[in-house]
Amino acid sequence: KAVVIDGYPAKSMWVDEFSNFFIPEVNERLAKTNNYKIDWQESYGGTIVKPKGVLDGIKLGLGDIGIVTTIFHNSKLPSQSLAGVTPFISADARVVAKAIDEITKEFPTMEKEFARQKQVYLATGVVLDTYQIFSKERIESIKDLEGSKVAGAGIILRYLDGIENAAGVRGGLTDFYNMVSTGLVDHAMLWPEAAETFKIAEVAPFMLKADFGAVNTKTVTTNSRFWKKLPSEVKQVIQEVAIEYRDHVANIAMNRAKKSLDAYIAAGGTVVTMSQEARKEWADSMPDLAAEWAEGLDKKGEPGTEMLRAYMAKLKAAGFTPTRDWTAGLK
Amino acid sequence: MSPIEIGVISVIAIIVLVYLGLYIPVALGVVSFVSIWLMRDDFELSMNLLKIAVGDSVMEYTFATVPLFTFMGLIVSKAGMGADIYEVMNSGFKKVKGGIGMATVGANAVFAAVTGSSIASASVFAKVSVPEMLKYDYNPRFAVGVVAGSSVLGMIIPPSAMLIIYSFVAEQSVGEMFLAGVVPGILLAAAYIAAIWLMGKFIPKYVGGKPATEYEWMSFKEIFSKTAPLVSLITIVLGGIYTGWLTPVEAGAAGAAVGLIIALIRGKMSLKSFWEALIETGHITASILFLITAASIYSRMLGLAGLPNELALILEQNQMSFMMIMVIYVCLMLFLGTLLDTSSIILIVVPLFLPLIEPMGLSLVWFGIITVIGAEIGLLTPPLGISCFVIKASLDDDRISLKDVFMGSLPFAFVMLVVLILLINYPVLSIGILH
Amino acid sequence: MSNLLLQGVSKLSKIANSVAVITNTVGTLMVLCLVLVVDYDVIARGAFNKPFGGAVEVVQFTMVLIVFLQLPDVVRVNRLTRSDGFLAIMQPRFPNVTMWVRRFIDSVSAILMALIAIAIWPEFVEMLETKDYFGIPGVFTAPWWPIKLVIFLSASLCSLIFIFKVILAATNIQLIRMDEMKDKAISAGEKL
Ligand code: NA
Ligand code: NA
Repeated sequence: KAVVIDGYPAKSMWVDEFSNFFIPEVNERLAKTNNYKIDWQESYGGTIVKPKGVLDGIKLGLGDIGIVTTIFHNSKLPSQSLAGVTPFISADARVVAKAIDEITKEFPTMEKEFARQKQVYLATGVVLDTYQIFSKERIESIKDLEGSKVAGAGIILRYLDGIENAAGVRGGLTDFYNMVSTGLVDHAMLWPEAAETFKIAEVAPFMLKADFGAVNTKTVTTNSRFWKKLPSEVKQVIQEVAIEYRDHVANIAMNRAKKSLDAYIAAGGTVVTMSQEARKEWADSMPDLAAEWAEGLDKKGEPGTEMLRAYMAKLKAAGFTPTRDWTAGLK
Repeated sequence: MSPIEIGVISVIAIIVLVYLGLYIPVALGVVSFVSIWLMRDDFELSMNLLKIAVGDSVMEYTFATVPLFTFMGLIVSKAGMGADIYEVMNSGFKKVKGGIGMATVGANAVFAAVTGSSIASASVFAKVSVPEMLKYDYNPRFAVGVVAGSSVLGMIIPPSAMLIIYSFVAEQSVGEMFLAGVVPGILLAAAYIAAIWLMGKFIPKYVGGKPATEYEWMSFKEIFSKTAPLVSLITIVLGGIYTGWLTPVEAGAAGAAVGLIIALIRGKMSLKSFWEALIETGHITASILFLITAASIYSRMLGLAGLPNELALILEQNQMSFMMIMVIYVCLMLFLGTLLDTSSIILIVVPLFLPLIEPMGLSLVWFGIITVIGAEIGLLTPPLGISCFVIKASLDDDRISLKDVFMGSLPFAFVMLVVLILLINYPVLSIGILH
Repeated sequence: MSNLLLQGVSKLSKIANSVAVITNTVGTLMVLCLVLVVDYDVIARGAFNKPFGGAVEVVQFTMVLIVFLQLPDVVRVNRLTRSDGFLAIMQPRFPNVTMWVRRFIDSVSAILMALIAIAIWPEFVEMLETKDYFGIPGVFTAPWWPIKLVIFLSASLCSLIFIFKVILAATNIQLIRMDEMKDKAISAGEKL
């Protein structure tokens, strides 16, 4: 028996795919040899844990397998912010998901962080392509953001740090529509799919295609005690399916992003593509987030610098040119 | 034991313990703890459940609305703003049969928009409105019934502690819940006024009262000075939330600050009563949030047992109709309402029914309004009806027994039930106001 | 001898109660703090374009302080949510039975609060060692350990107060009952 938990509702894309892709796929493969069968109990949407509680829920054995939203746990899972501190490289969810997954397996750091939370890493989930800027007025560069208020959440608020007098206003996704429509903020940072869901085109008809890049936000993990008890055949099947789930979800994210962008335009939105120079200007204005991140890990005796270099190399190998070389600030 | 059996036994155990007089949060916590322990034969898992639920539930940002709106409500009533609005309403309704009753309902509806609890409403209006009605020879039962019935508005018209609690359990936005409460609240107030009018028409003896002798209209200036503070508070709070300028938490803080300023300007706030309001706020917050924490332990226990999954399966197999579920739901709430307070009812029934409602594609905001109103009928029903207790206690008048208060409230409890059925049948009444 | 013991317990109980009153006062000030922080953020954001980045974390922090610093006092004055209709009916007819039921209720409560304290303690130790925080690094962060510590202390104190209620139930039962009658209107108010 395996209890699967997530605090997000069953209709969320990654949860839905867990139900309708991950689980059936595992069942099918186990059925081939017919040695083992898993009895799944799926408990989503706060029945056992809230979104922020998945990490602790798996740790404490309230669930056996779960989808941890890593951005809530900067302190326990610092290495998970790798994609977040290296903006302006790749807006391809598939590439970022694969790179992060490989980094996890090549360096012990991320797995160690999870092990400390008494769980075993299975796969990285990248569920959105990239954040963009949605505005009332047409904007083109960070000059237009100076002295304005921008709604956002989490680490992306720090992307505004280098812009003169720009203030990040924290808010939940559901608030952004109202925040923009009342003029509480002038811009909002979110991704196209969310923009479509919350009808952002009605209040912010201009999207600046800044392409900050895809960010890893989800990780599938399993309770260590539970994992240890599994027969190796089952372990192998789960690990295989986890990788397929990683690519499957990233693919869906890309497809949805494209559709959502079309829907945004159909709803009256205009997409302004940010020029390469303007993106560079923004990237250069930011504090050296990546170096800060690497240094923080190095201090704990983890190979932060190496991980950052390896990650950048992987993205370059996949054909992407970083707008800013985030390894430049490393000592 | 199957999940269903565990669910049923735990609910029965909780009800028995609560009726016995065990503190409700303790009952919820202990029963959940023991259930998990027995179910999984794992003491540590039970401890882990406590670990994750305690603190986790309190850390919710939107819960800051509980102390903020409570504080605002206390400040507002200590500043005498409830009595003011009543006087204004009364000058308008005096000539009609049952007019003071109608004025009480109207004033309550307005006052409700700045207070988060029915208790504040019940105690304020028991003191101002009941003596006035008795002075004009109203039937005492009718008089207290009106106050009890209309005090319920305090928790339906936003801001409302109950809507906040529901939005936490069902993971809905507090702002949307608040907006959805506006129309049902006004509807209920209108239904009360209509009911009073009908009573005055068909059973005038039950209403009682003689026409007012003095027809003293308030001057415009007086009306203005008595309503402006409340109206400005309502504008800040509800306007702020509706337009998106303020989150519910910020609206609560702004309301508390402005309420305090108004009270200071009017010179009705001593340091002592200010401190009392603060302490009272803290006590209310602590007991509500501790209750919520315990309820979250309970609902997680049900989740671990797999009860939601089982219920959904049963629903699928038996094709239980929407009407059936609603009938069961309302009956259960009325039953629990005899003895439990509103927040406990919400916290016990919602986790049980949410998994049934969600897959049916029904709006959870609408369901929340239904739940809150259904659970509040219990405020008016014996043997434990909080609103009635408060009225009896604040009246301190031997001519009116607790029984009179309960009997007087019954017609209004019935009106609530009618409005509830209306709201169940026409969801647009609650959720039409959202985009 | 047993009388002397009872007096000792009674004294300890008084100490526990006054600690509860003190933490209650601190918790009360937190309510004020909450109002100020949120209003400061609203004004700073609206008028000066400088929102307070840590508003969310500070609000979460104060909520924990308000609830857990005041909880022992809520327990002390018998204002924890309950429905005592049954006890009120039983009291005049079977005062002895009622007393034992009360003792049972307070014992169960003491056990639950003790379990919470025991469950939280290792969390506190762990957070203190790992220096875990919540919030967004670079924007605003707050440490976890004070939160766990406050919950631990609060639950322990509540448990103690319940234990004293069990022991002293026989001696001042009359008093408790009167208190509750007096508090009825207010305690009803607690439940909103
Ligand atoms: Na209200
Ligand atoms: Na009742």
